[in-house]
Amino acid sequence: MNQPLIWLHEEALRVTHPVFRAAPEGTRAIYVWDDEYLSQLDYSLKRLVFMYETLCELPVEILRGDTVSIIKQIAPSILYIPATTKPHITSTMSKIKSVANVEVIPDENFVTITKAADIRRFFPYWNMAQKTAFQKNGGIDA
Amino acid sequence: MQQLQTDFQSRDSLISYVKTLAPWAKGDPSPIEGGRQNAELKLASIDPKAYGETRNFGDGKITRLSPYIHHGILSLSEVRNFALSKCGNPQEITKFIQELAWRDFWQRVLTEHPDWAWNDTEPYKTGFTASDYADHLPDDIERGETGTTCIDAFIKELVTTGYIHNHARMYLASYVVHFRRVKWQAGARWFLQHLLDGDIASNNLSWQWVASTFSNKPYIFNLENVHKYFGNLIDTSPDANKLLHASYEELQIRLFPNIKGAL
Repeated sequence: MNQPLIWLHEEALRVTHPVFRAAPEGTRAIYVWDDEYLSQLDYSLKRLVFMYETLCELPVEILRGDTVSIIKQIAPSILYIPATTKPHITSTMSKIKSVANVEVIPDENFVTITKAADIRRFFPYWNMAQKTAFQKNGGIDA
Repeated sequence: MQQLQTDFQSRDSLISYVKTLAPWAKGDPSPIEGGRQNAELKLASIDPKAYGETRNFGDGKITRLSPYIHHGILSLSEVRNFALSKCGNPQEITKFIQELAWRDFWQRVLTEHPDWAWNDTEPYKTGFTASDYADHLPDDIERGETGTTCIDAFIKELVTTGYIHNHARMYLASYVVHFRRVKWQAGARWFLQHLLDGDIASNNLSWQWVASTFSNKPYIFNLENVHKYFGNLIDTSPDANKLLHASYEELQIRLFPNIKGAL
């Protein structure tokens, strides 16, 4: 029977990320060492080593191959993915959505902003953000 | 699919293994180590109040947490919560909280406008158009052999450690875009290759801020400014940094000759 799965990417490398709470307890977590993706980004060895030593501390399997093919092969019942703005990852996520049932889990909020922020300049954003930026958990459960 | 090794006797053996996985990856590993344990050690040593007073200086009480925040090893919220727990009055750490907010801001901008990652959000306000800027980073910049000593020192640190002070990032970005007239995209790509905290939102939009395609005017600096903040760390003598040894008025005329009057 197909099982749920967590696909951890390079911007969510901690066990306290909400993606682990969203998934059922004990859900298998994988990170995919995708050669094509990494070489496209042209990361220096510094970045790759930093990521790898972080991954080694996590309860996650590191699988090598093409991300979409691996997820298709595992065929999870549902795939939990941490939200990101990184274009390379969002592009892969779009492809994954054609082979798996996906739930994207945002990280903890830094601030609570109820109305749409003016996102062209920092200080209009800050005027709204500062109301909760000084509160524990950004005012979520303060 | 191949399952990769996660248990190593030493950092050296991990590094050797990563080299076999990515033989194309350039350079050497950074002395800055990843992992949650290292992140927690760094977090425990932050001084958010002193950060606000000294952060612009090369030897100021900066936190160096950004590689850990970028990789999600620490969340912005937990860093803020920890900083609050270390101070009596939250207003004392306004600058620190604001710096965390910048990252949140950049993420929100890119979420709203993913196309701004690599495209000019506005025209340059330099008297030039985008086509006046070179597409590629010159080799002497990549090698850290520009002949301007303080710039070369910052480049060397970037390339060897994968981390440089935020003020130094602004100097380098300004040098690339305004002193060498290279497109910000070429510089942003170069930073992303090396910076352990290289984040498209923060990095690219900050480059656009310096370039003036995401701000009201270009950011420039002179040697006096570098000397004030980094003079005790690197060679900021005029002889070794002739290109930067000028007043802001002189630089404006030299760098932006098409603009009449103040920026």
